[in-house]
Formats: sequence, C-alpha cells, structure tokens
Amino acid sequence: MEVQQTLTVCVTGAAGQIAYSFIPLLLSGQVFGQVKINLRLLDIPKMETALKGVVMEIEDCAYPLIGDIQTGSNPKELFKNCDLIVFLGGFPRLPGMERKDLLQKNANIFKEQGEALQEVGKDDVKCVVVANPANTNCLILSRYATKIPRQNFTCLTRLDQNRAYAQVALALNKPLNSLKNIIIWGNHSTTQYPSIEHATADGQSFVLPDQGQFIERIQKRGAEVLNARGNSSVFSAANAVKDHIKDWFNGREDTLLSLGVLSNGEYGVQSGLCFSYPIRCLGAFKYEIVGNLELSDFSKQKLKVTEEELIQEQGLAESI
Amino acid sequence: MQKYLQNTFAKQLNKASFAQFGHSGHANKKPPVRVAITGAAGQIGYSLIFRIASGEMLGPNQPVILHLIDLPFAMAALNGVVMEIQDCAFPLVKGIVATDNQAVGFKNVDYALLVGAKPRGPGMERGDLLKDNGKIFTETGKHINEHASRDIKVVVVGNPCNTNCLILANQIKDIPKENFTAMTRLDHNRAQHQLADKLGVHTTDIRKIAIFGNHSPTMVPYIDQMTAKNHKATVDQQWVSQTFIPTVQQRGAEIIKARKLSSAASAGNAAMNHITTWVNGTSESDFTSMAIPSDGSYGVPKGLIFSFPVSVKNGKYSIVQGLPISPFYQGLLDKTIKELVDERNAVDHLLK
Repeated sequence: MEVQQTLTVCVTGAAGQIAYSFIPLLLSGQVFGQVKINLRLLDIPKMETALKGVVMEIEDCAYPLIGDIQTGSNPKELFKNCDLIVFLGGFPRLPGMERKDLLQKNANIFKEQGEALQEVGKDDVKCVVVANPANTNCLILSRYATKIPRQNFTCLTRLDQNRAYAQVALALNKPLNSLKNIIIWGNHSTTQYPSIEHATADGQSFVLPDQGQFIERIQKRGAEVLNARGNSSVFSAANAVKDHIKDWFNGREDTLLSLGVLSNGEYGVQSGLCFSYPIRCLGAFKYEIVGNLELSDFSKQKLKVTEEELIQEQGLAESI
Repeated sequence: MQKYLQNTFAKQLNKASFAQFGHSGHANKKPPVRVAITGAAGQIGYSLIFRIASGEMLGPNQPVILHLIDLPFAMAALNGVVMEIQDCAFPLVKGIVATDNQAVGFKNVDYALLVGAKPRGPGMERGDLLKDNGKIFTETGKHINEHASRDIKVVVVGNPCNTNCLILANQIKDIPKENFTAMTRLDHNRAQHQLADKLGVHTTDIRKIAIFGNHSPTMVPYIDQMTAKNHKATVDQQWVSQTFIPTVQQRGAEIIKARKLSSAASAGNAAMNHITTWVNGTSESDFTSMAIPSDGSYGVPKGLIFSFPVSVKNGKYSIVQGLPISPFYQGLLDKTIKELVDERNAVDHLLK
C-alpha cells in the first residue's frame, strides 16, 4: 500500500533514553496512522557517534513508515520544515545541583531553541516540551518564538495523567476504559494537582478511600519508579509522549485530557504561564481549554500552590 | 541482607503481580492471550514489553496478559517495570504476572519470547556459553512442556539462539516441535535495509530474501530471488562478498561501538516481527526468515534448528522449496551447517 502523506518530525535529545523508547512508537503508526515520517534527530555534538548508532537501529527495524533521516546538533538546520518538534533534550539534574541552576541551564537551551524556531521554523509548527522543568522550558521556548501561535506550545503532563488513571483503576478495581476526566492541574512537579473532582467511573462520580495518599503517590511516582528500577521512568514517559501527540492530533471525544498549555488567565492562573489544564482535543491539532469547571475550595487552594511554584520558576529562569 | 531484600521484593511482587485491571469492558471483545517474556527486566525486555503491551504485536483488538519472567536478583528491577507498565495505562493489558518461578511464569502461556540467556562475558568461549545456557534452556523446556498452552508459539532470542532452541525443544514431549523456533529476523531486517540502501528503494520494497543457517557470523543472507518493488533485482557479486555479507554479520558489533550498548531496540523489534508474521502470515510476493526444526530440506540435517526461507499462512510456516543454490551459496551453507552440528555435539549430553 502506497503511503501518501508525509510529516517531518524533529526529536531533540535524540540519542537519549526517552528518544530510544519513543522513536519506535512514533514510527509504529500508532500516532498518525499511515503517514510517512521524516525524522530530524538533534543532540549535542558529544552524542554524534551514539546518534549514528540510533540511526543504524532505526534502519534495522525496517519500519514501513520511515521516510528520510537527518541528524545534527544545530537546531537552525534541523528545525527547518518540521511539522512537529518533540523536545526531549534538556540539561539533566546532576548530584548537588540546585533547582535554580537546573532552571537556568535549561532556560539557556530553550532560549536558543526558541530563537532557532523563530528564525527557521514553520509558522504553524507544533511543539511538545518534555525535558524538565517542562512547563517553564515551554514558557521560555514560546517567549523567543513569537511568530508561532501560542496554542502550538504544549508540555507533557500526560505521564502524570496516565499514572493517575492507573492508580484509580487499581483502587476502584475497574477497567481503565470505564474512567473519564481525571485531570492533572498545574506544574509537572511535586506540586501538581491530580484531581478526581470531575472524574467519573462508569459515568458516576466517585471518591477514593484516601485522596491525600492518591495525590501524593502521583506527585512522587517518578521517585518511586527510580528507586525500584535504579533508573528513571523512561518507557512510560515515552508512551505518554505518544499518547499526548496522538490525542492532540486525532482528537478525543470521550474524555477531557491533561496537557500543559499557555494560560490565558483561565481559573485565575497568571496569564502566560504554561499550566496543565483540562483540555478538549478537537482533532487536527486543535484544542480548547475547558475553562468553566466548578472548583471546590480544596481544588482552588491546590491550584494556587502549583501556580506559585510556576511563578517562582519563571522568575528564576528569566534572570538569565 | 541481599537475600532478605530479594525475598521481600519477590513477595511484594507476587502479591501485586496478579492485579487485574478488571475484565474486558465494551471494547476488546476477544479473550486475552498470555504472552511470556523471559529476561523481562533486561534491555531487550524493556524495548519489547511495552510495544507488545501497546498492541503492536498482536493487533489493537487483542488483549494480553503479560507474564514477565526473570532471575531472583532481578525482581526489584522487574517491580519497577511493572510499575511503569501500570503507568502507561494500556487498555489492552488485562493482567501482569511478574515472577522468578517458571512454573507460574509459563502457566497457560500462548506466546513466549525467550530473551533471557547467559550473556557472553569478556574472555568467554562459545563452549562456555553453550554449557551455561544448556542448563537454562533444559529447565525452561521442562516448564513449558508441563505448564504452557498446548498451542504455545515460542521464539528463542537469547544467544546462541539456534542451539538454545534445540536444547529447549528436546524437553518437549506434549507440544508440536514445530512450535519451537529461533530468531533470525534481525539479520533479515538488517539485510533488507542494506539492500534497499544499495538499490535506492525503501526497505520494505525489498522482498524474497532470506537468512539460511545459524544466527551467528556464519549466517547466509540469500538474495538470489530478491525483488525490489516486485521486480527481480540483482546486485554485483563483489559487493555481496566484500561489503554486504560482512556488513550484516558485523552490524551488531558496529552498533555496540557507536552506542556503547547493544542493539536492544532493533532486537526487540525483530522478535516482535517474528511473532507477528507467524500469526498474520506472509504476503504472496514475499517470504520471511525463521530458524525452525529442519526436515532435511536443502541438505540440512534433520532436527537442527536452522533458519530457512518460509512462507506463513494460518499460523503455520512452511519452507520455501526449490530455491536455486549456487556453488557460492552451497559453500556458505556447508559452513553454517557444520557450525550447528558442532554446537549440537557440544551439548549432546543434554539431548539424551
């Protein structure tokens, strides 16, 4: 069967672990269907040889949907003609590093990449920021790529959402597909607010035996997996990236979804922050923020905490 | 202390491991199948498990129950893998069994991908490799014979995969021997890409090639009947001998050199492809490569686990007969046959 359409997708941090798990998912057809994918793989010069190995393995997988592949370390080269850019690459947290340092190092990277986007990027390119601190990196990126519509900038909170669904399914002993509208609000960090306030199981709202424990478990799940595996949550993160893009592209009628997007002031959140909200995905990369849900005082308080953290992060990042 | 931790994790794991995500809802009406992966906490396992769980191997309408098997010392890491599978919220995963107990691990299993094997350490001879793996695959064979589904389809991935499969199959009394195969699909996919690159076509436009023999440096990439975009295609013999064959043979080592890690993603991909093709069949215009028990075709001694060109239909494979074997290819076939016969002799004591 002749594959007609083609998309060009750039992955940054392409020699890294999440990319290694994500690329097979991207090329499996699960995201865009029978669409050929031209790959642009970006990483730092030090990773050039490793990146060659990644390309060899992609070739050896004989994917029907692979188009052409380019690799490099210059975003001004690789961002050209891209329809979608998946920002996996960022400065990792090293032992002894302060959060402030992490924020500033990453702000520099995302400033540079934002400038590259502004210069060579397609006007309508879609962006998914995964590298942490994801929300603030996304905000910085958008600040330097002003020609691109605000709604094209998203960050990943789908991993937290998937984790929340799994925990609720286990707690209620119900299948995953009976659950809807579990939402992650705010920052992809330990201040995130996983909310079941508007969620349903088999169409009915529900309570959890220990809501506080549920919230804390989702907030700290990354550390839990790290302790067990001796390594971070690589595949589940890659899978969440796949889910985020797939639903953003195809639309989802049956449930609201969590995506980090640039706030226009919904729910009183400071405008311009990248904040995870309940999103209705309409298809063809269009979405709307559902801005009129009733929030309990408990929820409002949770939103304030995570918003506060994001404001602080923004301050630290912008002091570069 | 180490043993206490191992036991603790194993207990936690076995408690959590039978957690069901609930029976099928309105979607996924097919009953779930059980898919076992050994070496489940390792690198190839990591690439493989998640893609199977997402529905790539058996299709988006086939629910699965994952049976993840590894050694006792790996149970803590396996627990982490189980957590991550949960965190993917896969709609098709109807249960997870994570264990170091093979009787539990292979119970009622429908598909098994045997990735776990004793890896080749520095300075290790092939003979040592065979001895260690002999023990592993004898035991696994016994458990599969006793506990698995009578229709189980098995692919041995852990090396030396052909002979490991031979050892395993030797323990099988109550399941058809043809259900026990080994993987040469990675070599096949690698060959396909090299040829596509040479001919300037897409990888999937290269058809009717096959790997004969052992999954080792003696493997034979047969391209006499090759088509590109369904037209007969040839490449010059010198390129074949001097570039193509060495490149495919050394590809694994080349990737290790570049990545500093082995080719887990492409190996996992090939293992998945092997099962998918076995289940879904080959197209009229193509065949695939599987290492299977020889029936004597092409002069290959009966019973050796040998990679052949096969066509697959309705879950059954059959060797593509009558392909012309030139003196060039016969020479290569003789070498790989000899190697496998030598390997069989080296494990003769396990085959009584």
